[in-house]
Order: sequence, then structure tokens, then C-alpha cells
Amino acid sequence: MADMVNTSGASAVLGKFKKKPKLKEPKMTRKERNERFKKRLENLTPEEQAYLKRKRALEGVWPVVRAILVFSLCFIILYPLIFMVSTAFRPRAEMNDPTIMWIPKTLILSNITDCIKAMDFWNTLGNTVVLNIGCALLSVVTCAITGYGFARFKFKGKGILFGIVILMILVPAQIINIPQFLYFRYWDIFGIIEAVRGEPINLINSPWTMYLPALTANGIRAGLFIFLFRQSFRGLPKELEDAAYLDGCSPLRTFVQIMVPNAASVFLTVFLFAIVWYWNDYYVSTTFFTDNKTIALALKNLNDSLRLTIFGNGNVSVSPRELIVWLEAGCLISITPILVLYVVLQKYFTEGIAHSGLTGM
Amino acid sequence: MKKIHMSYEKKKGLYGYGFIALWFIGTLVFFISPVIQSIVFSFNEVKVEEGNLAQTFVGWAKYQYAFGTDPNYRQYLVEMLQNTALKTPVILIFSLFVAIVINQNFRGRTFARAVFFLPVIIATGPVYAIITGDMSTNGSNEAAQFSTMFETDMVDQLLEFVGIYGFNDKFTEILTTLTADILNLVWNCGIQILIFLSALQNVSTSAKEAAMMEGATAWEFFWKITLPCVSPMILACLIYTIIDTFIDPTNKVMTLIVAKQTQWDFGLMSAMAWAYFAIVLVALGVIFLIIRNWIYYEVE
Repeated sequence: MADMVNTSGASAVLGKFKKKPKLKEPKMTRKERNERFKKRLENLTPEEQAYLKRKRALEGVWPVVRAILVFSLCFIILYPLIFMVSTAFRPRAEMNDPTIMWIPKTLILSNITDCIKAMDFWNTLGNTVVLNIGCALLSVVTCAITGYGFARFKFKGKGILFGIVILMILVPAQIINIPQFLYFRYWDIFGIIEAVRGEPINLINSPWTMYLPALTANGIRAGLFIFLFRQSFRGLPKELEDAAYLDGCSPLRTFVQIMVPNAASVFLTVFLFAIVWYWNDYYVSTTFFTDNKTIALALKNLNDSLRLTIFGNGNVSVSPRELIVWLEAGCLISITPILVLYVVLQKYFTEGIAHSGLTGM
Repeated sequence: MKKIHMSYEKKKGLYGYGFIALWFIGTLVFFISPVIQSIVFSFNEVKVEEGNLAQTFVGWAKYQYAFGTDPNYRQYLVEMLQNTALKTPVILIFSLFVAIVINQNFRGRTFARAVFFLPVIIATGPVYAIITGDMSTNGSNEAAQFSTMFETDMVDQLLEFVGIYGFNDKFTEILTTLTADILNLVWNCGIQILIFLSALQNVSTSAKEAAMMEGATAWEFFWKITLPCVSPMILACLIYTIIDTFIDPTNKVMTLIVAKQTQWDFGLMSAMAWAYFAIVLVALGVIFLIIRNWIYYEVE
């Protein structure tokens, strides 16, 4: 049973990633090509000749236009990053030097070290990594289970319940976060905790404000994840599960042993996105955390913390233009971990979305 | 002991409830009840007191205030709708174009794809706010040059170069708003490009070959094969783009709503948010109904 599934399912999934063999044309000189083209034209009507000539001209020009286009668009996208690297290692005085375009005259590391100090970088990084991986893992597991429930079972009220999932995608976090804040401030389960402790627990500033929603498939962008999982599970062949049921496999075991391995790439994609979105989140975390506990929050408050730690509480005056070197240095160290993750696993970010069944919408 | 007999279907249905149970509990606590609570807020005058929120029922007064008295709300809403109506088609056309370009085979394609998708990784975080902020404080130097490169002058010069003088002002104005924002444009297209790219890769090879044999030009191929094949994804991208612009915390209406929250005016904030949300929902519904008729689904 398991063998059958592995060979058919896995190869079907892997097949999409395999590269197609390229047909190689023997190389010709320009002269040979021109001659061949002329020969081809000989027996054709003038209309066909004109068409072929036009086509050939277009084929010659298009790659050049394309190269220019792609290069300039890439430049626009990368511009902020180039700017970031260029300013992060620049002494602040050189921000006002009009002769410097990209490469500063002296390279310094002090902006970076200042930011590391101001953000309490290593501790914050540790906290963020633990929180992110924990929340992302919980989110992936619970959203996958929920998505599977919506993808493969018929039950009463499914339409309405799935409507709620769609609403979760649509309703911005800003609308509902005050009631959520009140919940966590006076956390209680049916009044039990108040009866035992005399007062409800204050969960604000505790990581549970992140873990609890993630644990119940209600974390950041959970609606989208449930939707993605549902789409991709629906795309898998039904015969796999039916065979498993006939062999007496329970639905839960079918899910764990048959569906999960077949949807492995979607799991990875959702996991990566969950990490990225938890990493970048500052809206939800500003509501529940008052201290700087995550990278995104520390970066958001970098301006103030720099003033406290580096500029001696306003004793050193720094113009907004000069402040840029620190802000950009802070940005650089904050996105480096996520950039490294992206560069290494780029394939799973892009191809995962492409194959996750969004196409079957 | 007698075993309870249930049909296979019914049993499976029960398992279905089992699979979504955890989410359901979570949603009741973390989503539905906050939603109801905030709708209740919108009909109340909410005052913050020690350890509690005091509410007094005021009916539709908060909604009336938002639309009638508030100096900015209505104006921002209209601006927001106009902006979205203007920008969404541009984003869609641009991302479809880029997707077609990077779907072709050329050297450095993988790199180009990685770059075009990069904004998705960064644009949601505070980094983006700092980047755009810095580029505008940077004043006279390179960043300003960079952004003005795409502004009025360039468009006008381009038009003059082509031989069009004193062209319709309204048109140049629209062009200017679009081109001035080109950084924002390319930074907002990542997901759309990706969705179109995956749709393009699903265009059937048999249709491609048939078109080649019949001698279709690239232009004909685009209108007759590519566009119908990706049309379901156009709807998906359209809806995604609209939702993305509407819930973007940096847009004017959202900023206003969050500002009311920091002023502790929860009643007004909720009223504004829910009225806004209702408008978005209606807009989405209308667009969905209109577009649905134009979409081509491959019959299997």
C-alpha cells in the first residue's frame, strides 16, 4: 500500500520539478543562417516572405529589448537594497558629500555595531527565531488539518464555516485587535481561573499571545494558509484515500501517512511564508508586546532606542539625513537572516506557490 | 453491547467535524467573538476606565458622525476607491506582462524571477516603511533624482519625442501619477507575477504547437491562446490586488482608523472600520459578478 502511494504520488509531484531536456541545434555561422533563410524564402508567396522577414526581425530585436527591460526593472526593485548596503557602511558625515553616489570613501562598521547594541540584537534575534519557528510550525500543522477537513469531508454547515475562513482573510487585524487585547489582558477560561487565582491572568507581554492563536489555526494570515491547504489537498487524486479507507485505514492515519507526504512541497511553502510573515509582523506584536521582543518591533522603535543608547538622550544632535546611516544599518541586519533563507530556499518560495493549487481556484 | 451503525458517509462527516474542531474553537475565541464585540463597539460610546470599558448605546450615531461630521473619512474613502480603480488594472497588466517576459527562456531567468519576487519577502515588514521614508528624507541627492526620473518631465519629453505636443492634460496627469509611483508599483506586484507565471506554465503545449504550426504571430498567440487560458487567474489576481490594497495598513483610510484607535475612540474606530469593510465587500461582489462572465474555463 505505502509503496504504491510513494511511487505514484511522489513521482507525479517530482515530475513537475524535473527539467525538460533541451534540444540542441548545431551551431551555424551568421552567413550560413542567412543563406538558409534565403533558401527558405525562394518557394514562398510574397505575403509569406514578408511575414517570415518580419518575424525574423522581431526575433532579432526582442531579446535586446527584453534584456534592457528586465535589467531596468530588476534595478528598480533592487535599488532600495543597494541603497541600504551603500549607506549602512558609510560614515554619517559622508551622507552630505555630493561627490559620493554609491561607494563611500571610507567604510566603517560602527553603524552596524551601534545598531546591534541599540536593538539588543542577539537576544532579540534569539527570541524572534524561537517565537517564529514555534508559531510557524504550529500554524502549519493546525492549518493543514483544518484545510484537509474542508477539502475532503462533507458535513452540515461546511459552506458557512468556509465562509468564515474567507472572512478571516478579509477582515484586517486592526479591526479586531482591541477585543483581542482585552481577552489576553483578562485571560480566563469560563471563569475557572478567576475562581482559583482570584483574578484572571494577564497574558500581555507573554509569548502565549502568539502561540495560542497559532495553536488553534488562528495565527497571522491563518485564513490564507487554510485556503492554500484546502486547494492543494483538493488537487490530489481521491483514489489514494479511497484505497486506504478500503484497507481499513482511519481518516487521521490516512491524512498523516498518505496526504502529508504527497503535499510536502506545500507544507514547506506555507512554513516559509509563515516564518516570513511572523518575522515581518509588527502590527499584531505591538498590540500584545510592550517591550521590544522581536526584530520587527526593535526595528520599528530603532529611532527611540538609538537616542537612548547611542546619542546619549539627545545630547548628540543628528540630522534626519545623517540618521539614515543607522536606520539602514538596522534594516540590513534585520533582513539579512530572512534574505539568506530566501536565497537558499528560493525555489520553494516561488514554485511552491505555483504548484500549491492556487491555479485550481 | 450493540454497536451503533452509521453509514460510511455519515461517519466521514463526523470525522470532518473532528478535523476542523480545533480551528473552530480557536475561531470562536480569537475571531468571531472579537468581530461581534467590535460590531457592538460601533453602536456604542466606548470609554476606557480602570480595568474595564464602559459602553453606552448610541445607535447609528457613530456611523452618522463618520460619514457626516468627520472631516477626512468620506474624502479618504473616495480617494481610496479612485486610487484602487486606477491602480488595479495597471498592476494586473504590468504583472501579466512581466510574467510573460520572465516565462521566456533567457540567461539569468532564475535570477530575474528571484528578484521580482523579493518584494514579497520584505514589503510586509517595517523595513519597507524605513526604506521609503529614507528615500524621501534623502532630499536633494540621488534618491530624489531617481524618483523624478520617472515623473512629469520624462513622460512629457517622451510624448514630445514621439511628436505629440500639448497633449491632453488629464491624460498626462494620470500617466504622471502612475509613473511617479513606479517603485511602489513593482514592489506591489510580486504575488500577482507569481500567480500569472504559474498560470502561463499551465497553458497546454498542444495549443501552443497547433498555433505555431498555423503560423500565429506572437501577438495573435497572446490574444487568442494566452489570455483566455490565464483569464481565471486574472480574476484571482484582481481580487487579491483589491484585498491587498484595501487592508494595506499604510493606506489613508486604514491610517485614519488606526489613528482613531490610538485616540482611544473605539466606538468611532469600529464604526469607520465596519462601514469601510462593507464597502469593500460590496465592491468585491460587484466586480466578481461582472468579471465572471468573461472568464474562459477549459472544459475537461
